[in-house]
Amino acid sequence: MLIALGGPESMEESDCAWLSGHLESCEECREFADASAEAVRMLRAVPISAGWSLVSATRSRLRQRALELQRQRERLWVATVCCAAVTLCTLLTTAALWGGLAWLARETRVISPLWQMLLLAANFMPALFAAVLLLARGIHLSDRTWEG
Amino acid sequence: MNATACCFASAMADENAEIARGLRRRNPDLLDRLIEKYQHRLLRYLVHLTGRRELAEDVFQDTWIRVFERGAQYDGRHDFGTWLFSIARHLVIDRERRRRETAVDDPAPLVAADEPSAFDLAAGREQSGRILAAMRHLSAEHREALVLRFQEDMSLEEIGRVTGAPLSTVKSRLYRGLTALAPWIKGEML
Repeated sequence: MLIALGGPESMEESDCAWLSGHLESCEECREFADASAEAVRMLRAVPISAGWSLVSATRSRLRQRALELQRQRERLWVATVCCAAVTLCTLLTTAALWGGLAWLARETRVISPLWQMLLLAANFMPALFAAVLLLARGIHLSDRTWEG
Repeated sequence: MNATACCFASAMADENAEIARGLRRRNPDLLDRLIEKYQHRLLRYLVHLTGRRELAEDVFQDTWIRVFERGAQYDGRHDFGTWLFSIARHLVIDRERRRRETAVDDPAPLVAADEPSAFDLAAGREQSGRILAAMRHLSAEHREALVLRFQEDMSLEEIGRVTGAPLSTVKSRLYRGLTALAPWIKGEML
């Protein structure tokens, strides 16, 4: 019955023949079939359509979103390049400093682990400090937004 | 006939693959074409699903934004319309969930009460208004199944993909929906 009323599937001929025969003899099923067919006909005739203003507003929002995503990608690209440049500079600087400090430590008789730890701390502490500050700022701003 | 069906199926598969490629690249022309093609069908589905034109129009826009953002998730193996309608359906469900979470005491139902709304009556045809009013007495699942089957001409499997329901549940919803609708239609026919 559901197939007969519509949809891309098709019924077997034998099933069609059986259904036709059954509907001739069963009044209840025939009434149901008639009412269902009428409901489907009325449903298909309902005039709901999208207006031009809705489509235009949708396209406008899509263009806006496309611009936002493009800006995000550009910012991400700049941040990635900066991170890569900073990492490269750090490696080169650390390599140069390592050699210099090793010589200085030999001259001043400072033990190796001490100056090595100091050098690593000097390299990473600013980045760690900045990360903690940004995190705290982020938490503070999100708290203010929640309260606001 | 078999050769024709095969050619048609092959053409559909090619079209779906082309849509998948275009969505991955976020091709704006493709999106415009898709909006052009599916605008009326999608809005009709949303109006029936939500029962309110204003909400349907909001979700309509959100649906296309979601298609744009997550186009890479469409793999082209099934009809694009099925994927589009499933996105719209999830957005309606999300909205309804948020509405219930934030407005527990809100008495306004998602589905209107017994009387047809001004939209129904101004729909242009009295019969259309009455079928819409009759549809409002059905549950959202039954309404959805009837609309997808008899307005969108989706197969039972496609309806199952959109709704996430097994085939037997889809058939049951269609049958119960028609059974619930029939008395209203008989009253109309008398």
